[in-house]
Amino acid sequence: MTEKRIKVGLVGCGQIADAHLQQIRRIPWADPVAVCDLEPLLARQAAERFEIPGQFSSLAEMLEQSQPDVVHITTPVESHRPLAMQLLESGVHVYVEKPFTVDANEARDVLDCARHNDRLVCLGHDQLFDPAWLECRERIDAGEIGDVQHVESVLGYPLHGPFGMQVIADSDHWVRRLPGGLFQNTISHPLYRITELLPDAEPELQATWLSRFNDVPFPTELRVHLRGELVTGSLLFTSSTKPCHRLTRIYGTAGSLEVDLNSQLIRADIVGRYPGAFAKIEEPWRRVRESTANLARNMHRFWKGELHYFEGMKRTFLKFYEAVRDGAESPIGYDEMIRVTQIMDGIFDECRRGDAERAERKRHRRHTQTDVSEESMAGSEVRSG
Amino acid sequence: MQVLLTGATGFLGRRVLRELVDEGCAVRCAVRPGSDVRSLRQFVGSRRWRCAETVNGQLSSTDHCRELVRGCDVVYHAAAALSGSASNLVMSSVVPTRNLMNAASEEGVSRFVLVSSLGVYGSQKLRRNELLDEDCPVDPAGHLRDPYTYSKILQEEIAWEISQQQELPLVVVRPGVIFGDERGALSHRVGLQLGGLMLRMGGRQRVPFTYVENCAEAVKLAGLNGGIDGQIFNVVDDDLPTGRQVLRRYRKAGRKLRVVGIPQFAMNWLARFNEWYSEKTEQQIPPVLTRYRVQAMWKPLQYSNDRAKQQLGWHPSTSFDEAFERTMAFGVRG
Repeated sequence: MTEKRIKVGLVGCGQIADAHLQQIRRIPWADPVAVCDLEPLLARQAAERFEIPGQFSSLAEMLEQSQPDVVHITTPVESHRPLAMQLLESGVHVYVEKPFTVDANEARDVLDCARHNDRLVCLGHDQLFDPAWLECRERIDAGEIGDVQHVESVLGYPLHGPFGMQVIADSDHWVRRLPGGLFQNTISHPLYRITELLPDAEPELQATWLSRFNDVPFPTELRVHLRGELVTGSLLFTSSTKPCHRLTRIYGTAGSLEVDLNSQLIRADIVGRYPGAFAKIEEPWRRVRESTANLARNMHRFWKGELHYFEGMKRTFLKFYEAVRDGAESPIGYDEMIRVTQIMDGIFDECRRGDAERAERKRHRRHTQTDVSEESMAGSEVRSG
Repeated sequence: MQVLLTGATGFLGRRVLRELVDEGCAVRCAVRPGSDVRSLRQFVGSRRWRCAETVNGQLSSTDHCRELVRGCDVVYHAAAALSGSASNLVMSSVVPTRNLMNAASEEGVSRFVLVSSLGVYGSQKLRRNELLDEDCPVDPAGHLRDPYTYSKILQEEIAWEISQQQELPLVVVRPGVIFGDERGALSHRVGLQLGGLMLRMGGRQRVPFTYVENCAEAVKLAGLNGGIDGQIFNVVDDDLPTGRQVLRRYRKAGRKLRVVGIPQFAMNWLARFNEWYSEKTEQQIPPVLTRYRVQAMWKPLQYSNDRAKQQLGWHPSTSFDEAFERTMAFGVRG
């Protein structure tokens, strides 16, 4: 039986579009048929480099001429809602790069539109399909660390890399216009690695953002604490430390697991069997065995050509295209898309509230100091009088 | 004469600024917000700085570009991103060039000088040791090259298109490998850095160097000399060394380098392997080294600077030996 082929289009030919086009090409029954960008030069470079037959600067023209089954949206987030709705209403399934939308209200609009038009939406929570993450999930589900109690997620961001430098240099950059600024564009990944294991619809949260660089006029660090009924979580976004981690550590009642997506390593911490001094031999020995197993697995995957930075993305695409082909559900649940977007809204609200409180305290301190100095001046006048 | 200079805070641009001011030009420097203007001011000195002004140089909108070029006789466009993804390079090099040229045309600028690159040539078609001069065609398949070269090829294509459509006088300068103080001389044309190793590519082919001070002078002349509209000028120095000679000089200067030589014949095999492996593993390792790129980058060729000498009246005033010594004395490795 010949496999039904899927025709794929892409709108928004910036940096992340390269990753999408490269991963789409790895799926034998997916045909990238067209790319579209308001800037024709961007569409042209993508079409030339990835040998894509259609290049457009109008979405309507792309839909009419190339007739894709699925369109990937890799534009700045402020355009996700209108583009997704236009595509869904045209009868096209939509893959949206993270972050989903500017806020949760927009997310609801998009998903309502998808239901209404009987089309599918998938959101780029692709690290949930990363091989290392999947293995980690299997081990958690098998009970290796007992019941999950806390999830720590870390994202290191190369602020002075090519993209970050653009954001710094351009005061009107779309990233800087987002309610959550730099963080809104990036924290989905570490956040959904927490929410995957923290099921509460509306966890309590505390969040604060801060700056670490004098030459950067916006916050560059973010700290978040989440509290669910059974599980808590913490998120560290940092652009001031090296290396740029993509780490998640999951603490359970019987041990903990750490998954490092950059180097595709999984490390376990479990309760030792031996007491006292013996434990100090047992633990390093266990780590040697664990490292050997990690090395062997990565070498095997290297040999098989599976060590791709965006392997999770390819697998997400594959699952989504299969869902489109088979009429199944999207690999990322709609409730989860809304929940993550809603938590992000909460995080940024909380950060802004903190900023306002700090500003108020500062103002209050200044007033108090002025009052005190006026009083002391008045006092000295009385004394000298 | 009032000129606009983009990329003034860059390695080449700051020297072009110095040259232009010394020539008596009033220079408007378009700099991106956050650029290190203080360092530029220190570099050119307070006396020259009086003839320069800095203005916000975000070139993403034609309206803003129009304000920048208003009242300028000549535009020197030396700003270019050197690294990043192809899309980033297009957005930060090609799109601004288009916007600036459209604005220059509307504002009646009398010449637009574009600093391009010697890398744009399609030297694959040349035979070994053949002469590469301005008559050699531009690479017709730029997308097969590295992202930087691709962006320069696209940039030039757009520039010539606008120049012809809008009758904007254009002069293109194509410098070779620009080296000098803060950048050193270890370019990809000499070899590739792999961790702590330098893979010397070939070694007997001449490296088309141009010392940054020499190059700045050529760029300046491209905007000032009459009767050269529509011309292209390759800018390379005289007495070009081979890659092997450059590395030998580095060692002589006391620099420690761990070099592994890749002979000319082996480069094609390596490239073939890289292409095969990349395809087999669906780009687990990208095809960085391809036969197409090997031909373009490391084929032994002769380089000519005759046209620049004849029509610009340019002569590389600093010899390679002296320039290399200065570079080493500056104390930057690579």
